[in-house]
Amino acid sequence: MLEFVRSRALRSLSFSCSSSSSALQQWRQAILGFNRAVSTSSEPNGSLDLKEIEKVLSDVKADDVKVIPVQGTCDWTDFMVVATGRSTWHVRNIAQALIYKVKQKQRGAEKLWLPSVEGHEGGKWIVIDSGKVIIHALEEKARAYYNLESLWTSEILTKAPNEDLEKALVKTRRKNNSKKPAQKTV
Amino acid sequence: MIQPQTFLNVSNNSGARELMCIQIIGTSNRRYAHIDDVIVVVIKEAVPNMPLQRSKVIRAIIVRTCNELKRDNSMIIQYDDNAAVVIDQEGNPKGTRVFGAIALELRQLSFTKIVSLAPEVL
Repeated sequence: MLEFVRSRALRSLSFSCSSSSSALQQWRQAILGFNRAVSTSSEPNGSLDLKEIEKVLSDVKADDVKVIPVQGTCDWTDFMVVATGRSTWHVRNIAQALIYKVKQKQRGAEKLWLPSVEGHEGGKWIVIDSGKVIIHALEEKARAYYNLESLWTSEILTKAPNEDLEKALVKTRRKNNSKKPAQKTV
Repeated sequence: MIQPQTFLNVSNNSGARELMCIQIIGTSNRRYAHIDDVIVVVIKEAVPNMPLQRSKVIRAIIVRTCNELKRDNSMIIQYDDNAAVVIDQEGNPKGTRVFGAIALELRQLSFTKIVSLAPEVL
């Protein structure tokens, strides 16, 4: 898991260098730059890409699969994938199928790399955290309750006018509209 | 540094307003809990007409502490309040949204659900 966060830090460093520079981002860059100096690991080759994830999800008949790109809003991940299962069994099977795929991909490798899985006992909401892509498998009721898509898509909308706010905060000299002749202070 | 009898704010929309720590989970005799520890709490104050009521015993995970959180890269994170997020026995959050800034350590210790609900991750 730690290895992943590090590799993610590497990626986002190159990303944030090119993007606009607000104070917060600079601060983040400083942190990530430090992480880069520390980290020695490279990208784990066992991680699934989006196409593979979508294929696995369609194979296990997960309903209503949505891929939400969150590079702009979230600093800690790139993609969120939301899928619905019909029952707790089905949700657990979705998670198991994804892990099986990861294991298949790394067959014969010396070190097996596995994503962290959370919530397997309950089966209402299972999160598979594989670094760049985070997969949420939810039961129908849980999905309606947490309403994750609206959270991430609305975040994009609310963060967009932030640039205007930054412009508004820049100090500009006021125009002198008064008709009085400018008085010189003695 | 959260210990039994410490009062905590609630940083999600579960319906509780103030919590009191009564036990730290996963330890037998540890004195203090820190960020991303699970604790047993009593609801001291609750929003009316919500499922959670006063004096009920529930679980919560600490997300912010006044005591500083130190990272390996000599970064220090310190908040102005002690706050927790109410969770159930399975680790699912009770509310639907989390407020305020959350430290990235929660993700590394497998509380990705709370991190993914949070608006700001440090």
